Amino acid sequence: MDMHVAHGPDPARLVEPDRVHRSVYTDPAIFELEMRRIFGRAWVYVGHESQVPNPGDYHQALIGRESVFMVRAPEGGVHVLFNRCAHKGAKLVAFPDGNVGKFIRCPFHGWNYRCDGTLHSVPMREGYAGTRFDAADPQFSVRRVPRQASYRGFVFASLAADGPDLESFLGGIRTSLDNFCDRAPAGEVEVAGGVFRVWQHSNWKIFFENLNDTSHPMVTHESSVNAARARYRAMAGETKMPFKLLIIEGNGEPYEFWDKLEMVAFDGGHSYMGAIFVPPTDPVSLAHIETLKAAYGEARTQEILEVQRHNSIIYPSCSPHTSFQQLRVIRPVAVDRTMVEIYTFRLKGAPEALFQRAITYANVVNSPSSNVMPDDIEVYARCQQGLATDGGEWVSLHRDAGRDRAIQGGFVANGLSELPMRNQFRAWAQYMAEEG
Amino acid sequence: MPDDVAAFLFAEARLLDQRRWQDWLGLFTADGMYWAPLGFDQPDPVNHASLFYEDALLREVRAQRLEEKRAWSQQPVTQAARIVGNILPLPDEDGDLMVASTFHMLEWRRDGQRMLGGQYTHRLRRTPQGLRIVLKRIDLINREDVQDTLETFL
Repeated sequence: MDMHVAHGPDPARLVEPDRVHRSVYTDPAIFELEMRRIFGRAWVYVGHESQVPNPGDYHQALIGRESVFMVRAPEGGVHVLFNRCAHKGAKLVAFPDGNVGKFIRCPFHGWNYRCDGTLHSVPMREGYAGTRFDAADPQFSVRRVPRQASYRGFVFASLAADGPDLESFLGGIRTSLDNFCDRAPAGEVEVAGGVFRVWQHSNWKIFFENLNDTSHPMVTHESSVNAARARYRAMAGETKMPFKLLIIEGNGEPYEFWDKLEMVAFDGGHSYMGAIFVPPTDPVSLAHIETLKAAYGEARTQEILEVQRHNSIIYPSCSPHTSFQQLRVIRPVAVDRTMVEIYTFRLKGAPEALFQRAITYANVVNSPSSNVMPDDIEVYARCQQGLATDGGEWVSLHRDAGRDRAIQGGFVANGLSELPMRNQFRAWAQYMAEEG
Repeated sequence: MPDDVAAFLFAEARLLDQRRWQDWLGLFTADGMYWAPLGFDQPDPVNHASLFYEDALLREVRAQRLEEKRAWSQQPVTQAARIVGNILPLPDEDGDLMVASTFHMLEWRRDGQRMLGGQYTHRLRRTPQGLRIVLKRIDLINREDVQDTLETFL
């Protein structure tokens, strides 16, 4: 079946309400179009303000394939700039995170820029006298991203000059970022403890679909669930499973457990998976709750804790896991290659033991050396390879299709529903339909 | 440096190359730790993420998972061969032997072969059963890079 029109792929023919054509995952021309029409327009996560606390601090990021960095100016603001010198085009910063000093200095010919990107000085300026060089012309400054905005410290940027503002873009998924911050007694979070970076040999959308896919854990993760259960059984006399086993073993819950969770999907491809609130009894959580009560009072604390979510999806660039203080950032690199960054956050004002537990969670579940993730990455790669065969044209999104219930700005469904995937492709089709 | 230390490190490497996980797990003291820092200047394993920070329990989980029938990412299993060299004694700590070495490791799974390398630091204790590992620290040279999955022990 030919999904191309004369001048290239025709995205409108690739997405149906309950299935998508395999070429959305495998066709390099589609990937090129996604870079322009999705990553060239959407608000894409750049980083958190806490990663650049001091003047000159920078953090590198990718918006689609565009290399950018956010940098803290001496006046205090954060600017998101393209990583390109206005002179010969050299990349200006080299480390994932670092400090530029007083000015951003190009390593090639020493052009100096202020932290807002404007040109500060060039050596031997007199050589430009009488030429078309003009220090005040923006083409001789580091280019800023067309739009940038921050929501509670989470910095996003858009490569499009026009479009919805960040808050409208986030819509209902704002509540996940709110709850992330509200869980801190000081109302703020900060990145800490390093970042894992992992390759996936598969299309970026496969990972996004998996983040709210509840019918895979008991199958994909059977090996680690079995191992965790066996080790627990071997722990004579233990009546409570240790945290580091529990977070592996949790994937072994039966279908009925997952189906009772609530799937909530919003316009724009965003969604989250609601967890059932079980009042915690472990000492780390109890100590955290005490700090919340001291900061917010009993009633507000209860309200904050009752918002229980597994992965939230902020389409198309990141996924917070609020209760274990993780943020996964998804960077498409090629049609069949994706880089995922995993950040851990400290809840300001909470006991250090809570942060240390989040570190344990990151190590055990989200690291490249996790016992859980390799089986995910394996099945994603098998999808990528299987989809490249002529064994079929369509990918099924039929589970509970047609039964999504409309809510303000989105839909809600039972936990096993493939609503989040249908929702992502609804947004995908909207982005891809617009010329550009 | 005592004669048996190099032999111990070579034998340990061979157990890992041969996927003899249970024999390898037996080389640790009961409270022995296995640690691969994530950062170049990482001060500790508690307040910073690590590529590995595993006690006996987590090592046992990993060893068992690698042999599970439905460990999809072990179809086929990871094959490894490593060379350990440049073995040098470091100053003892509280009666334990501290040993630095360099390793170079080839690893193969279905989609290709990769090279891993770095420094080992072993904290070894003499026990009635022989030398035992109190801490095995692995500093991969590319630990801050984007990684493909690391499934087996380094």
